[in-house]
Amino acid sequence: MYDLKPLELEWKKYRKKKLRPWIMASVGLIVLSILGLILLPNNKIDFSKLDTSFMMASNSVSSEDKKTENTNRKIKSNVLINNALNKLEIEKSVMEQVNTAANEDTNAFVDIPILDGKQENSVRYGQKGRAKVHLDIVETTSVTAYKDVEKRFAKSHEIDDSLFLARSYYKKENYKKSEYWALQTNKIDSNIEESILIFVKSKTKLGRKNEAISILKSYLKKSNSQEARNLLYRIENNKI
Amino acid sequence: MTSRYESAKNVFLDSVDIEDYIDLDSSVAAYKQLQHSLDKPLKMILIFGKPGTGKSILLNRIQEKLKHQKEIHYFDTPAVSEKEFFHKLFKVLTQKDLPSNTEVNFSALVDFCKNLRGKREIIILLDEAQMYGPEMMEKIRLLSDSRAVKFVVSLHKTEDEDLIAKEHFQSRIWEVIELKNATKEDQTAYIHKKLLKKNLYEIANSIKAKDMKLIHRFTNGNYRECNKLLFTMFEICEYYDKNEPSKVNYTHIPKKIIEMSALKLGYIHV
Repeated sequence: MYDLKPLELEWKKYRKKKLRPWIMASVGLIVLSILGLILLPNNKIDFSKLDTSFMMASNSVSSEDKKTENTNRKIKSNVLINNALNKLEIEKSVMEQVNTAANEDTNAFVDIPILDGKQENSVRYGQKGRAKVHLDIVETTSVTAYKDVEKRFAKSHEIDDSLFLARSYYKKENYKKSEYWALQTNKIDSNIEESILIFVKSKTKLGRKNEAISILKSYLKKSNSQEARNLLYRIENNKI
Repeated sequence: MTSRYESAKNVFLDSVDIEDYIDLDSSVAAYKQLQHSLDKPLKMILIFGKPGTGKSILLNRIQEKLKHQKEIHYFDTPAVSEKEFFHKLFKVLTQKDLPSNTEVNFSALVDFCKNLRGKREIIILLDEAQMYGPEMMEKIRLLSDSRAVKFVVSLHKTEDEDLIAKEHFQSRIWEVIELKNATKEDQTAYIHKKLLKKNLYEIANSIKAKDMKLIHRFTNGNYRECNKLLFTMFEICEYYDKNEPSKVNYTHIPKKIIEMSALKLGYIHV
């Protein structure tokens, strides 16, 4: 029987050789994943701190020029800080403007129904980006839009449309038209309280206070609406 | 104390022993094809294949099976000289020894064979026929033309020899039987059957399908290489069994041992 030690050693070498590509591949994979983990956050830092990196670069001037550069650096950093603050302020003011615009727009928009396919898209678009909201609203609150709704009502006799017109014209202080559209709504459905209230308020605004009170009282006989009661109180006490 | 692996090792001693013949799908098919060809009125039959594909054992097997039915003679190793070959052939044909200091007259031998036509049918199995020179082969061809002697020529399949064989016997070889390396399934059956024939059940079970795959990869399904590998494997197992028993797993032959054997035999290299 021969000695197996040399053969065992040879086998160990063979095993190592056989496993080498696997080990290399796994090590490579681990190294790559580690590098990936390290590099990804670094990239983010670089992008978000461009100003800081610029300042870091200015810090790396030679020691001989340090003294002369010191004052310059201070000025530079002040300028940078000021720039940054300015930017922040500008951003802040822009944001405020956008917010107010958006809020205004949403208020103006509450009453505007979907007019057609084109406008439906524009409304949705406006809801996504604040800047666009403002532009779209200018168009949708235009007089032509109301005329379109009026035309549409002539064909469809939709309560939503007539009520919308009554509500919108009242807000625009066009009381004749709001009275008219409130009446049109009431003709289709006499149970809609809002149309009665707009009708009464429009009459009051047009100076026909007694007529308005008598209509409201007759309505209160049928219903026990708290809102109608409040409105009556406000008309009687000239608070409208 | 003898190791259980010693007998397993001896099972795979490379020898052409008819007792060790294992019936496999491929070998049974080759055997039947040869038997069928011998029944045909053919002058020559060529058996070829790479070394270790079972040509010699097939010739041995056919001779063993048919020796009581037919006049069949097996020439295992080629004669050193032409003279010696014809001495041997003379004895087979005439069933007499050639007197000393005499040489065989080839023309007379051919005439003798022609006279035997219809009276006797002699089959000569020529193993390792690639060792015979072209001249000898030409004489063998002439003898086969007598139709009294049928030659079964076994050749190693190498590029050159294959060409020589085909060119030389082009007009006379009527049947060609090619032996190929074993498939994984055949080799698995070969190893298991060999071990089970010697009642080595536990050892047969200790070589799993995965190991068989590895053995087949190392040996390419060659029976001779398989014998060598298995012999070496069990030799290593025997060594561990006797000297470092902790390194032996009796239920499963470790992959390490198969790879060590392959390294020793040069199938793989560091």
